[in-house]
Amino acid sequence: MSKQLKIAIILMVIGALLTTLAFFMAFYTARVQGFGTVVSDQPLDTAFALAPPSMQPTDGIAYERPWLSQKIFYFHVPVAEASFLIFTIAAIFALLFLLRKDKKYDTRSRIAMETAFVFVVATMITGVLWTRASWGVWWDWEPRLTTYFIMMILMIAYFVVRNSVGDEERAATYGAVFCLIAWVDAPLSFIITRLIPSNHPVVFQSGMDTTNLIPFIIAQIGMLMIGYAIYVLRVTEESMHERIELLKERLEA
Amino acid sequence: MSEKRNISSFDQFRAILHKDIVMELRTKEMLTSMGLYALLVLIIYYVALSQAGSAFEVERIAGGLLLLAIVFTSMLGLNRSLVHEKDQGCLEALLLSPVDRPVIFFGKAVGNLIFLILVQILIVPLFYFIFMSGSQVQSGPWWMLALALLVGSIGIAGVGTFLATMSVNTTGTDFILAIMFIPLVFPLLLVVVAALTAVITADAGYTQVYWTMLAAAAGYDVIMIAVAFALYEFIIGA
Repeated sequence: MSKQLKIAIILMVIGALLTTLAFFMAFYTARVQGFGTVVSDQPLDTAFALAPPSMQPTDGIAYERPWLSQKIFYFHVPVAEASFLIFTIAAIFALLFLLRKDKKYDTRSRIAMETAFVFVVATMITGVLWTRASWGVWWDWEPRLTTYFIMMILMIAYFVVRNSVGDEERAATYGAVFCLIAWVDAPLSFIITRLIPSNHPVVFQSGMDTTNLIPFIIAQIGMLMIGYAIYVLRVTEESMHERIELLKERLEA
Repeated sequence: MSEKRNISSFDQFRAILHKDIVMELRTKEMLTSMGLYALLVLIIYYVALSQAGSAFEVERIAGGLLLLAIVFTSMLGLNRSLVHEKDQGCLEALLLSPVDRPVIFFGKAVGNLIFLILVQILIVPLFYFIFMSGSQVQSGPWWMLALALLVGSIGIAGVGTFLATMSVNTTGTDFILAIMFIPLVFPLLLVVVAALTAVITADAGYTQVYWTMLAAAAGYDVIMIAVAFALYEFIIGA
């Protein structure tokens, strides 16, 4: 077992412990945001009850917000940020592959895409739960959700394209090219809530209480560790697979 | 190669375009298939809207419906234009000839754009007669509509030609083109529909919305065509 693999397994365990810790901290140490409300300028058709009269703002209508809505934050945001980061790494490897034509970079790019996709799906699931808990709907076509959804579809397209090309070298080139084009959506999705006014909250713009910031940072570090561990484990698996294929060929010859 | 006969890139571009147009004039395959397909899409629109009643405002969705018909039709055309090249071995011949790769891209993309515009000349008036002739709304000038469609078509032809070059070498050509094409042109479709709807409904201050959306669409065109231009060499050589 290589040293890198050992580190990856250790990081996986630590990452899992850290994210779990952050999850409990969110419940026990983070400042509880009292009675949460959703404010709207017009009556909404939601499953949530109206907030008590004392909480009603002067303009608009406030609805109750389930306690769950604030807790998903500690999972959703770190996962989403990790997904952007890993996708970026995949795009960098794709660019390296196109420049150097080395198969090594293509494998890394593909595995980084796989890892990023796992995180994107996790983001989507937590995001949809949060949307439901916070806005009272399952889905809303607002800029961040739309661009992120498109990013997910582009990632699915990446794998479909790769698998539909017979020739291995051509599949690698097409994959790298498509990965680069698809990646354009990642920074766009990241900054769009800062450009266009939308319902989606922007982290760090309003500042955070220290008791909330600590579990958030812990969860973020944990998620990055897990992402790195998944990536390394998959790379190791892939290189082992290649070695087995090579040995098989040698055995037959 | 340029020592004996000085062939400029523009000549090469013209030759590729000329080849596509001559082939189309002889077979008339692209235009017939795209035109008929667009007509079928309009018929399906009629079926889809047949129970909507007379109370709803068709102007609000007309821009979206029109662009949708164009997108579907363009995907058919884009696929055909590259499948022909491959089946008849023309793509290989083009690659063997000393032509710059980006020139091939522009030649094919402009050819596709011309066919797309021709189909639009056919279906936009038809669309108007079928769905909009009873409309009471005073729409904006027609050239604004045409300009929005043109900017949209440039993006569709550019991105589409680029992706069709990839999808033609895969199994399941049509599906692969669709799954790459639709998410990639999504932003373009969104802003072009906004521009088209602004012109058709002509609400107060619609010109401002129109020009903002058109600027966004033009920006998308420039960025995507530049990216396609830069990456075309990789995919056509693969």
